[in-house]
Amino acid sequence: MGYQQKLRGLVVSTGLLTTVLWGATLPAWATDYKQAPMLDEQVKAGKLPAVAERLPEHPYVETMIDGVGKYGGTLRTTILANGDQYNLTRTIANELLVRWDPKWQKVMPSLAEEFKASDDATTYTFKLRKGLKWSDGQPFNADDIMFWYEDVFMNSALSPAKNPTFTVAGKPVKVTKIDDLTVEFKFESPYGLFIQQLAYGQGHLPVIYPKHYLKQFHDKYNKDGIPALLKANPAAGDWVALFNSKVSLTFQPPFWQNLALPTLNPWVLTVPYADSERVVATRNPYYWKVDTAGNQLPYIDGITWAKLDDPQLMALKMTSGEFDFAFRHINNSTFKSVLFDGQQTGNYKFVDVKDLPANDAVILLNLNSTDPVKRKIFQNKDFRIALSQSINRQEIIDLVYVGQGAPAQVAVQPEHELFNEREAKQYTAFDPKASAAILDKIMPKKDAEGYRLDESGKRFTINFMVADVFGLSYPDVMQMVQKYAKEVGIDIQLRTTDRARLNTMWAANEQDAYIWNCVGGLSEVYTDPRCYMPFQKADIFFAMKWSEWYSNHATGEEPPENIKALMAAYDKVNAAVTDDDRRQKMKDFLNQSADNFLNIGISRPMPKYMMTSKNLKNVVNGIPITGNLWHPAPTLTQWYFDKPTK
Amino acid sequence: MLRYILKRLVFAIPTLFAVSIIAFIIIQLPPGDYLTTLMADWASQGGAVEAGTVAAMRERYGLDQPIYYQYYKWIWGILTAGDFGISFELGKPVTELIWNRLGFSLLLSLLTLCFVWAIAIPIGILSAVRQYSISDYTATFLAFFFLAVPDFLMALSAMYVMSAWFGQSVGGLFSPDYVDAGWSFGKLVDFARHVWLPVVVIGLGSLAALVRIMRANLLDELSKPYVTTARAKGMSELELLIRYPVRLALNPLISTLGWILPAVISGEIIVSVVMSLPTTGPLLLRALLAQDMYLAGSLILLISVLTIIGTLISDILLALTDPRIRFQ
Repeated sequence: MGYQQKLRGLVVSTGLLTTVLWGATLPAWATDYKQAPMLDEQVKAGKLPAVAERLPEHPYVETMIDGVGKYGGTLRTTILANGDQYNLTRTIANELLVRWDPKWQKVMPSLAEEFKASDDATTYTFKLRKGLKWSDGQPFNADDIMFWYEDVFMNSALSPAKNPTFTVAGKPVKVTKIDDLTVEFKFESPYGLFIQQLAYGQGHLPVIYPKHYLKQFHDKYNKDGIPALLKANPAAGDWVALFNSKVSLTFQPPFWQNLALPTLNPWVLTVPYADSERVVATRNPYYWKVDTAGNQLPYIDGITWAKLDDPQLMALKMTSGEFDFAFRHINNSTFKSVLFDGQQTGNYKFVDVKDLPANDAVILLNLNSTDPVKRKIFQNKDFRIALSQSINRQEIIDLVYVGQGAPAQVAVQPEHELFNEREAKQYTAFDPKASAAILDKIMPKKDAEGYRLDESGKRFTINFMVADVFGLSYPDVMQMVQKYAKEVGIDIQLRTTDRARLNTMWAANEQDAYIWNCVGGLSEVYTDPRCYMPFQKADIFFAMKWSEWYSNHATGEEPPENIKALMAAYDKVNAAVTDDDRRQKMKDFLNQSADNFLNIGISRPMPKYMMTSKNLKNVVNGIPITGNLWHPAPTLTQWYFDKPTK
Repeated sequence: MLRYILKRLVFAIPTLFAVSIIAFIIIQLPPGDYLTTLMADWASQGGAVEAGTVAAMRERYGLDQPIYYQYYKWIWGILTAGDFGISFELGKPVTELIWNRLGFSLLLSLLTLCFVWAIAIPIGILSAVRQYSISDYTATFLAFFFLAVPDFLMALSAMYVMSAWFGQSVGGLFSPDYVDAGWSFGKLVDFARHVWLPVVVIGLGSLAALVRIMRANLLDELSKPYVTTARAKGMSELELLIRYPVRLALNPLISTLGWILPAVISGEIIVSVVMSLPTTGPLLLRALLAQDMYLAGSLILLISVLTIIGTLISDILLALTDPRIRFQ
């Protein structure tokens, strides 16, 4: 991967102490910007201002992967017909105040031209680029961010709960406008990870609310006009529903159905994600990035998504050459051989995508189980060690994952700077004898069938919830685990279920145990340690009472000292201001997490893949991504066709 | 005749009412609701799920209300204002979503029906009249074969063959050039080039069944005394066949005609999903998966209504074609 670090001065480290001095490292901005030929006509006709007037004073200069490209072409790709709006989000909507570099190592300025963190990690100042414009040509400035803060984020009707990216210790951020281009984000307590959080997909909130357009739907600005608007919009019952039907903080379908909504994205929709058989986007003439030669980005004129109901059809169309790019839904082992064989006819190649979680299959025992007997046994680290050693991981990987994986615990990937051999490898050796020896100390008595009895004299049974999700064949994995556990006298009963049922069980703290995958294999571990400690988040529930206590000491249950120490170690990570300090604190935290050995990992994931046309250039091979580090949006503006496809 | 129709209509009302209640309960049966789906979506996107937001949305959508109140609100909206509620996921009125897709569903069903009848009836007659001949055995073999092959497999194989061997763009009802274009002669040709494949795939299964039904019915009739009598009186063989036994043999076909209507919405969900057809089938499937309850409920209700209307229509048609039923 040869990233041209032409603009080294632009690259700002995450734990920045002082402002980057622009004067010192100012790159020579081209004076004669160029635009896509498709816009020439409109400029000539006077429908569009000249390119230099559309761009900000200092456009964002993209770091090119292969080099300067050429304009033109339509990127043909695909989307599921329903419920796949994230596909659009990940492909074209990732414009943020700050962004991660393509290597996922540093946070760089983006919409903000520069940013500054205070020494105590509580105050962050962002200076916007001068002359940024929404896709309708209206200026984007501090007022739009203040509109988000005052009228959306702090409005209890529109935001009944505050987004955790912008809260710390339960207290929401305070945003102040310094001048037209400068805003300050202030937190009550240290939040050293804020800049990292802001650079992930969900950090888009402050910059997706165009005030000039949205204020007509807001009670505060247009109280008198709203009844008439409601009448014209039968699906909305009040102004909140109306507002939410025009823009959606979570990029729900309304966001992609409203063609009138101005954005800062490189492409804007011309056919919405609604009833038509496809979705179409065309270039945003006001996009604010240029390449190193002063050509306004993006290179590709437009994007079309064929709406399909079935991934099999996606694979078929890919092999018949109907798409230039495909990533989601067909990048799993089911389709790999078909897609591999179709490279010639489909004129595409495989590109590695490092979507690497911490582990593909993790056994999550409920340490806060409502059953006191089970709770006591699950909380016993030796029991977890014994269970871990009873599993023949290599056999599972060979039989279920056709060799794609490696025996490992929940740990950071070997290629990452936070990798630690012990954390990844401890207790992964298959050793049923050692396992049985440990269990003999914890539960020595057995019944006639050879299963161990708990202290009340009943057979100790783990009711294990298994959902067939992510295409990771969990039912097959668990059947093997069940067999291994039986060898050492542990009774595992498998309960096949689905995600919805699991969701309700999690919320009610009803499950004994379940199997899931774990994020935190690469840099996201800093902001999302949900598998490394009890941490209130989404789909990992191995100690929900403790995690409730962590987010609010008035709720949940107070954890034991070792868990409290682990939580304190993470708080130190969050309070760190410099990169080095943060890395050190993170290593300490991961080390402590491994000491506690909270859950049992089985297999380390392998890179996934995407397919791109052989004619596409500037595509990063092996780009690291994760659930909230979206893809391919951050690099898509520089993709180009070196020869026409059709 | 009028009395007969009125009687059937009166019976339909309580049936519809019961069906609407059952439909609503079935949708609520799986654990969780639309917001659980939404939360799962957020979680997989790395988004955090704030309990407060979810609770507020639940209240906004009325999902925190008891089920009988939700039902009452929904059915009252339908009865008084024709308002089927909104789709949570798509943020649009249900009626708007359904009407958009109903047209293609109807068209596809009608085309399939024509295709099936046009082929099945002659083949059925042929294999009955020439019982145990080569053509009968061939028709029987093919009929059983197509009856046995699952339609989604047929859809996948057909698409693979068309795509890999003939290089045709498969899936959907239009090629990319015409998808967003308005109707024109070119688009019509394009439509015809795409629509035959789903019609054949969906049709083959029921075609096979119809051939068997037609053959069996006709065989029953052919051995009856009135046929012999007519033949003895010197009636030409073809005229005899078409005029009497075939007409009677068609009865069971007519009585299943009513099933075509509900099939417009629910029919061939799997084939529609596999072939990405813009019909109501995939919409219903997704609504059920996402627990988008007003959309799913309305579709199920609509299917039930159409089933009842369809049954009524076939009863009337039967009464028209067969006097014996009328006078019972």
